[in-house]
Amino acid sequence: MWSYVLRRLIGLIPVLFGITLLVFLFLQLIPGDPAQAILGERGTPEQLEALREKLGLNRPLYVQYLTFVRNVLTGDLGTSAVSTIPVAEELKRRWPATFELALAATLVAVVLGIPVGILAAVRKNSLLDTLSMSLSLVGVSMPVFWLGLLLVYLFAVNLHWLPTGGRLSTDLGIDFRPITGFLLLDGLLTLRLEVLGDALRHLILPALTLGTIPLAILTRITRSAMLEVLSQDYVRTARAKGLAERQVILKHALKNALLPVVTIIGLQFGTLLGGAILTETIFSWPGIGSYIYEGILNRDYPVVQAGVLVVATVFVLVNLLVDLSYALLDPRIQYR
Amino acid sequence: MKRKLLLGLMAALGLGFAQKTLVFGSNGEPVSLEPGNITDGISIYVQRQIYDTLVDFKPGSTEVTAGLATSWFSSQDGKVWTFRLRQGVKFQDGTELDAEAVKFNIERWWDPKNPTRIDAAARYEIWPELFGGFKGEGGSILKEIQVVDKYTIRFVLNQPFPAFPAAIGSGYFGIASPAAIKKDGAKYGSPTGSAVGTGPFRLVEWRPGEQVVLERNPTYWKKGFPKVDRVVFRVIKDPAARLAALKAGTIDFTTDIPPANLKDIEADRNLDAVFRPSFNVGYLALNPSHKPFSDIRVRQAVAMAINKKAIVQAFWGKLGVTDGHFTPPSMKAFQSPKVTDYEFNPQKAKALLAEAGYPNGFDLELWYMPVSRPYFPTPKEIAEAMAADLSALGIRVKLQTKDWASYLADRKKAPGFQAYMLGWTGDYGDPQNFYDPHFACPIADLFDSAGKPLCVKELGDILTKAATTPNLEERKRLYQQADELTFNLALRIPIVHSQPLLAKRKNISGWVPSPLGSESFETIEKR
Repeated sequence: MWSYVLRRLIGLIPVLFGITLLVFLFLQLIPGDPAQAILGERGTPEQLEALREKLGLNRPLYVQYLTFVRNVLTGDLGTSAVSTIPVAEELKRRWPATFELALAATLVAVVLGIPVGILAAVRKNSLLDTLSMSLSLVGVSMPVFWLGLLLVYLFAVNLHWLPTGGRLSTDLGIDFRPITGFLLLDGLLTLRLEVLGDALRHLILPALTLGTIPLAILTRITRSAMLEVLSQDYVRTARAKGLAERQVILKHALKNALLPVVTIIGLQFGTLLGGAILTETIFSWPGIGSYIYEGILNRDYPVVQAGVLVVATVFVLVNLLVDLSYALLDPRIQYR
Repeated sequence: MKRKLLLGLMAALGLGFAQKTLVFGSNGEPVSLEPGNITDGISIYVQRQIYDTLVDFKPGSTEVTAGLATSWFSSQDGKVWTFRLRQGVKFQDGTELDAEAVKFNIERWWDPKNPTRIDAAARYEIWPELFGGFKGEGGSILKEIQVVDKYTIRFVLNQPFPAFPAAIGSGYFGIASPAAIKKDGAKYGSPTGSAVGTGPFRLVEWRPGEQVVLERNPTYWKKGFPKVDRVVFRVIKDPAARLAALKAGTIDFTTDIPPANLKDIEADRNLDAVFRPSFNVGYLALNPSHKPFSDIRVRQAVAMAINKKAIVQAFWGKLGVTDGHFTPPSMKAFQSPKVTDYEFNPQKAKALLAEAGYPNGFDLELWYMPVSRPYFPTPKEIAEAMAADLSALGIRVKLQTKDWASYLADRKKAPGFQAYMLGWTGDYGDPQNFYDPHFACPIADLFDSAGKPLCVKELGDILTKAATTPNLEERKRLYQQADELTFNLALRIPIVHSQPLLAKRKNISGWVPSPLGSESFETIEKR
């Protein structure tokens, strides 16, 4: 097992190099001069030249790439061309916000998706089945942006139940010093229950928005995985033995149906970490997604390069964890 | 612990916040709170609350008035400017504002070798843009800066510059505490450093991506101000989300609302639409290097063929005006009464075109911007409307665009775009800032029929004279001439002076938006 883990970790190295190369080349493919894009209407030729020099855009491509890789290896992710703040610093600060949101969204998907999926499979072709499948179809096809604004207008603007965005109310935001950056945790650690409650209220709408697509996908996957397992011989045997239906489903079938479900949860979580861009923008969520988005708009190469690199790395690592978790769920899987 | 819980409970119930907090919905993140090192509007907006400038502007106008300096005057030849400072003004860190402090700030912006420029990444690009160059560079307008006495500072210039007070008063140049800058080094003005001025509010905390928190400056020199205890800049980049936050009362006031939302705001009984006086121009440039436009009659025909009023009505509604002036309406004093606007007259335009030898029109490549700007919120649609008007003359328009960076760069490369849309927002309240970048010889982005940078000598001479003449009345006369001349030349046809749309909740009063883009929040009250 451990040698397998080690082998997988070593296998990550070429993958990560591939990512750096792709990120780098993609940015080169964008037409136009980033220095001009940053300076805008007023850049004089001298200012342009100075900025190009500073950003290293005058050097040959391979030199730029090698510099980028060398810096990354030494932990230097560069400084933002716009704000001149080190990108690593900014990513570190924003990381907890994105992680908290992705976790909450995954929770929404798991807590709702798995039970509904099971019920839909058990009561195949029932009204519940049809309804949940139609809704999940709507869920995957709904534009995130639209859904987010819809929820804001309904629950925040009209009903005043929940806040429109941000992670804390203004007043709490002024007087509360986060420790870990995970606000729910920080609220508990400092015994500031009002912070905990406020952070939770702020988390609900973005988590629902971000969780809708994985929720829909998870419902469908759980349903089809359950259906497949339920038709197998051992389930028939279990039933024939006279076990209660409840036990058959929850104990015998579910455990085996979970395998593909776990894969999907892992993959979706990885996607959420990087794909939260729209949700973070609508809800003014100060995470990595909105940071990368801003970087793209500003043609801020260091921010985009480092941001995508970090997200891709996390994605690859989450995949690795998913693979490893198979071992716990299914001992038949061998590691060679 | 019990007390903490109790406090928490009170806070949760909304009690215990007797302090008046003003929440501003910011459309982005400030880049830096270090004066002279930024050009973006958001940074200036925050800086405006922390720092004061040497001269200020009358609320809602571009007229200069006393700021940190109570009076100023220039020498006969216009080359020496002397400023007398307000006495007894303290920075928020307790140190005193004096002439040495001002000199310290100016040298930091002006001198690339200044030892306090610790951060190598900092650009300080606005100083050379407004004052010709850094110290030691040929174009530098500033020659020397002298401390006359504790409260008097003197600027010696290489050439007369009548707009100097207005330029040095622009929002970029807030006066910062030298002590704080020395203490913080490269961190100064960043989220981990301080930002210390003499303004109505002082910086408490900057949490990137979330909010900037400012608190009332207890030692502020203007008695009775500010009217609230705290200002919070909440970062909400998405315009739709910002409007939702305003409707829900999460924020009290905000800027940069898309014009399409005006009806929505007017229909909401909790909200007021607020209009910022226009300080920009969106124009259509006609490049004489492309044959038909080397003929002035063709350019004038184009100007006459575009139904500017209808276009502005359609795309801006209440949020835009159109006239013949290149400068915005707030600069009326420098505008010629003889310039009204081009008459919209397709027949006359067609006749003029025939007279120039194009009775059947010509092929025209019209370039529209790939991005939205306050002066052209929807460039493509506006370009289409102009194309439709031009087709009535038989002009066959082909709409063109490319990515923003190339668009900006390529228009300056000879022979340039045949016709293109662009605009300008002023930095300070002087016509020089509008005319010189667009018409001073040689013109950077228009070319003559030989493909060389265009120079209209008569206009160039007037502008040089106007920019250096100390006498205000004389300057007004010269700029009125420039106004007439640019109008008749029809090289850049002013399409619109747009008004940015802002909005506030009804319980906010005393907010007077400045045409210059940022205003102090010290007069704002919250019920």
